[in-house]
Amino acid sequence: MSQFTRRTFLKLTGGAAAVTASGLYLPSIGRAAAPRVVVVGGGYGGAVAAKYVKKGLPSADVTLIEMNEKYISCPLSNPVLVGHRDMKVQTWGYEGLKKHGINVVIDEVTGIDAAAKKVTTKGGKSFEYDKLVVSPGVELKFGAIEGFSAEAAEKMPHAWKAGPQTLLLKKQLESMTDGDPFIIVAPPNPFRCPPGPYERASLVAHWMKKHKPKSKVIILDAKDAFAKQPLFVSGWKELGLNVEWKKGAEGGKVTKIDVAGMTVTAGDMGDTYKSSCINVIPPQVAGHIAHVGGLVNDKGWCPVNPATCESTLHKDVYVIGDACAIAGLTDKDALPKSGYAANSEAKVAAANIVAALSGKEAGDPSYANTCYSILTPDYGISVAHIGGVSEGKLKITSTAISPPSADLGAGKDTFRKQEAIYAEGWYQSIMADTFA
Amino acid sequence: MQKKKSTTLLTSALLAGGLLLAGSAMAGASPEMLSNTCAGCHGPDGVSAGPSMPSIAGMPAKHLEGMLKEFKDGSRHSTIMVRVAKGYSDEELKTIAEFYSKLKWGDAKTNPNMVEDTKVDPALAKKGKAIADKQCEKCHEEGGVKQDESTPRMAGQWLDYLLIKMADLKDPNFKVPQEKKMKEKVDKLSVDELKATAHFYASQAK
Repeated sequence: MSQFTRRTFLKLTGGAAAVTASGLYLPSIGRAAAPRVVVVGGGYGGAVAAKYVKKGLPSADVTLIEMNEKYISCPLSNPVLVGHRDMKVQTWGYEGLKKHGINVVIDEVTGIDAAAKKVTTKGGKSFEYDKLVVSPGVELKFGAIEGFSAEAAEKMPHAWKAGPQTLLLKKQLESMTDGDPFIIVAPPNPFRCPPGPYERASLVAHWMKKHKPKSKVIILDAKDAFAKQPLFVSGWKELGLNVEWKKGAEGGKVTKIDVAGMTVTAGDMGDTYKSSCINVIPPQVAGHIAHVGGLVNDKGWCPVNPATCESTLHKDVYVIGDACAIAGLTDKDALPKSGYAANSEAKVAAANIVAALSGKEAGDPSYANTCYSILTPDYGISVAHIGGVSEGKLKITSTAISPPSADLGAGKDTFRKQEAIYAEGWYQSIMADTFA
Repeated sequence: MQKKKSTTLLTSALLAGGLLLAGSAMAGASPEMLSNTCAGCHGPDGVSAGPSMPSIAGMPAKHLEGMLKEFKDGSRHSTIMVRVAKGYSDEELKTIAEFYSKLKWGDAKTNPNMVEDTKVDPALAKKGKAIADKQCEKCHEEGGVKQDESTPRMAGQWLDYLLIKMADLKDPNFKVPQEKKMKEKVDKLSVDELKATAHFYASQAK
């Protein structure tokens, strides 16, 4: 009986009236009335899923398992690199979630047994669940580029998971030789925060004007195109930012890294770049625990039902955030791996979990994403996505980047400044939605 | 019986057709599902925690719906809302407006989620009060607490948001639809005077 969820219990007994009439089932009511929801990972996705499940179904026993005591936000961590923001404002705790009645456990999940509906942790604990949410973020594939490794990232930081790596890269930038290029090795698709490397390039180039006037930024890219590209490219020109972008097809693809010599080799011709400051953002796949739990496809990402965010590989397991792959109606029907998309996916998963545990229908999903990039403190750009599901696949109903400068005329500077201000406003509100 | 059945079928077909015509992939989404996506910018339950993001909870449904539709058809300037609103059918925008109208307003000044102070300048707020009492109070009654279909609540709104919107009113580059009586007042006031009223309204609570 203890394995029964409230839904199956009610189904089996034919509803609440039958439960009351049947003394036989009474001892199980207490347990059946408190379905167990476990959430793995407490970031933009997981924390929101935990909060919205609890909000939608206060009787649920919700446990959030997160590795770190404090969460450090990746969004807006690029401005930390150039001293525009402090790490303190990027750092959040779990007190707010605890106040909502969520059981927050600081531990690392090391096993998911989807058949037994149980997760186990490094700390030796195990948690049974009726519904599981997995929001593990990304795993960096250190071995994907010859010569790169986790140890190498201590000399050539990725700074793609905000925290000590961010501060390490900041330190390296500050101490780099004036005249050396700041080299960003940008990853192939798909990866966390598609406009992130280009935002980083912009902010560093802006910072260099004052602090490293002889230097410039070189992006060695595995790709031939990138997010918000027209806006970044025109922004670099307007703002006089010295950024050189080498696309994959034209010598940008990095094939080898030499940490000892501080060089990277790129392109078919094997061009070598040397610098005292090199930022390597490696290729990515779904967070490690998703692989352990058997939730990934052959590409290393987690396929989910676009209507619910439930894994197509394991029942009662929902995967959200950067790790999930939501199949789109066409190539254009896709959400980026962003904080906002994770927030939105969390709410779709939560609504479906609450509905399933209450024996109700969840209805159609609704997805949204807005994502700001900061080129300078006075120059912001954005992209928005709105979508739902059609024919069982994700369908984006509206998506657009900010208007090109030519369309904004004399209002351009104000418009770009407003978006930079709104980026900060977005951050405070989404963090309140996540942690307050 | 035969006839009744075909009528039902026809009705279903029309209904389905109507929903498809709305161009929506979210026709069967609940009001919560549609509206909760807004919280990423406008804060949990529509009470913003970001100084430049407006709180929308408890505003009149007709006012919110009108704004959303103006964003959608491009008649009202916004950096991002024009792009966001285009993703929804008119019916969905109405649903979202009604959802937020039923939630409780929260003042910026007393927002428990507030990380930074709104940085209201008391001297400017005082100056703004004098201007608001004389120029704005006739419509934005009770120090900006009053709201209706055409009058947004001002009291307790976030300062950075109000400052941006006050500047927009005077910016010839941006379209901000205004009623005649509002436009007449705005024409009379300088940007600095409008910004002073922003400090006043942001300083208000309850």
